[in-house]
Amino acid sequence: MEEVLLKIREVSKHFGGVYAVNGVSLDVRQGGIWGLVGPNGSGKTTLFNTILGLYRPDRGDVYFNGDCITNLAPHQIYGLGLVNAFQLPRLFYQMTVLDNMLVAARGHQGDRLLNSLFFRKRWQEQEKELIEQSMNILELVELDRQVFSLAGELSGGQRKLLEVARGLMAKPKLLLLDEPAAGINPVLGEKIFMTLKNLCCNGTTFFVVEHRLEILFEFASWVYVMDKGSLIAQGYPQEIIDNPTFYEAYLGEG
Amino acid sequence: MNPLLYALDVLVFIGIFGIVSLSLNLEYGFAGLANFGKVAFFLTGAYSYAALSQIGLPFYLCLICGAMISAIFGWLISLPALRLRADYLAIVALAFGEILRLIVKAERGIAGGVWGITVAPIFPYTGSELIYRLENIGLVSICLFICFLIAQLLSNSPYGRAIRAIREDEIAAEALGKDRAKYKAQIFMLASAMAGLAGGLYAQYLQFIDPYMFMPMITFTVWIMVILGGPANNWGALLGAALVELFERGTNIAKDYLALPVDPGNLQYIMFGVLIIFVLLYRPQGILKESHVKTKALELAGYGRSTAEDKRG
Ligand SMILES: Nc1ncnc2c1ncn2[C@@H]1O[C@H](COP(=O)(O)OP(=O)(O)OP(=O)(O)O)[C@@H](O)[C@H]1O
Ligand SMILES: [Mg+2]
Repeated sequence: MEEVLLKIREVSKHFGGVYAVNGVSLDVRQGGIWGLVGPNGSGKTTLFNTILGLYRPDRGDVYFNGDCITNLAPHQIYGLGLVNAFQLPRLFYQMTVLDNMLVAARGHQGDRLLNSLFFRKRWQEQEKELIEQSMNILELVELDRQVFSLAGELSGGQRKLLEVARGLMAKPKLLLLDEPAAGINPVLGEKIFMTLKNLCCNGTTFFVVEHRLEILFEFASWVYVMDKGSLIAQGYPQEIIDNPTFYEAYLGEG
Repeated sequence: MNPLLYALDVLVFIGIFGIVSLSLNLEYGFAGLANFGKVAFFLTGAYSYAALSQIGLPFYLCLICGAMISAIFGWLISLPALRLRADYLAIVALAFGEILRLIVKAERGIAGGVWGITVAPIFPYTGSELIYRLENIGLVSICLFICFLIAQLLSNSPYGRAIRAIREDEIAAEALGKDRAKYKAQIFMLASAMAGLAGGLYAQYLQFIDPYMFMPMITFTVWIMVILGGPANNWGALLGAALVELFERGTNIAKDYLALPVDPGNLQYIMFGVLIIFVLLYRPQGILKESHVKTKALELAGYGRSTAEDKRG
């Protein structure tokens, strides 16, 4: 059995009276694509934000690679190799597409104040390599013609693509993807999932929220189902499809 | 007054305020930090210079120490900056500037209190006002050049990219590994050091400082420079400084020759207000557009080329 990469234990998060996430425990193991599904408002995005350190959980703990990350700042969590692509893209809109990618690059020497002033030679080579990597990823999501456009000039779907591309650029161990295929044309959506599948071979793991169940179930190796803040089912995609609780969650009590 | 001397005086002022404008541009233009207490750091530099030169330190040490003391104050103001939304930060910084000025004004022991204090000039008076001003232009130009170089290197590097990202969306930047607390503190310290340096130059050039020379209006004037010239563009910050200074001098001269029904001093403020409204309505990005990150590697990737094509196309 592969190692547990992400371990969530009894995590709860409420907003006022709403328990957005209520006592969720789950494991994501090294390798493959892991799915998280559930009706609108079932708490998937809230769970992701809690994992990332953007929300403090009211109760419970999150472990990544064996370390408790519940109280770490988001940039420290990034440092450990846990990265996210937001459901609603949060791009740097006054910056070019390429600059958006380069911000996400891991361990850029030029990110430091003194290096930017005095040791500029040191990171030029690295920057060149990172630009090349960015170009490859942008080509993959078919944004290679917009490299020098401002992110604010992209269409809705293109913004989503850049959000996903930026996540990939960060070379994470585990990438949380919140509806990567939403608003993307079906062919490209399929292609993105194919890409993710290929990247799994390099040791990247994906934890994906997706409403386009047909794509997700085709690629996912394990699926969790949430409803009203709680985990209600889990299993192989085929099992989930046959699971009556899964249908009840989507169709309501009626 | 001799027009040549007057022109040289204008140049010295443009240089000094150009430094302050560059520093606010680093904070606001690139990092999105609304520092409405800019004058506090200018004041710190000026008073530090006055105090240190009195105990006999050589002028370059006075300038450097003044800048460092300002940097420490900048670090202090970065602490609330991390917790507060931009609009609250603006109020905190504004209050900070006023508090500092009132302390200096009330405490006679610091530097003459409300009476002010004379400051020894760097260049001893040789009997020629022309030479005195030329010497100052030389010194100010060197300092301005260094500050400009720092601002340019910083903004055209991955570091500049990171602070712009924090300006655009600090949560997203943080989730992409940028320690916003660190970056904000660094930018506040660096920019405050620049403002402090400018304050020292100012004090020794005028050879006298008092608390009334550091009213909040200075802060607003520098803001107008940055907004007019174009935030996130270092050339814009310089251009803004020159234009605002010339505008101020122009209206000062004009008021001597015009019989106006209103107080000309107030009219100047009114015109500043109108100017800002026009800029924000018709050219909110300022005269010069934001300059994007440029590195050698980016140029090799065809950045300059493709933008040139865009212009032609
Ligand atoms: N910042 C917030 N403040 C208050 N309530 C919130 C906040 N964020 C989420 N909620 C509430 O928490 C619940 C779960 O929201 P969440 O965004 O996690 O759902 P989701 O499963 O991601 O839904 P979707 O599939 O539509 O994206 C919702 O009822 C929502 O109204
Ligand atoms: Mg969601």
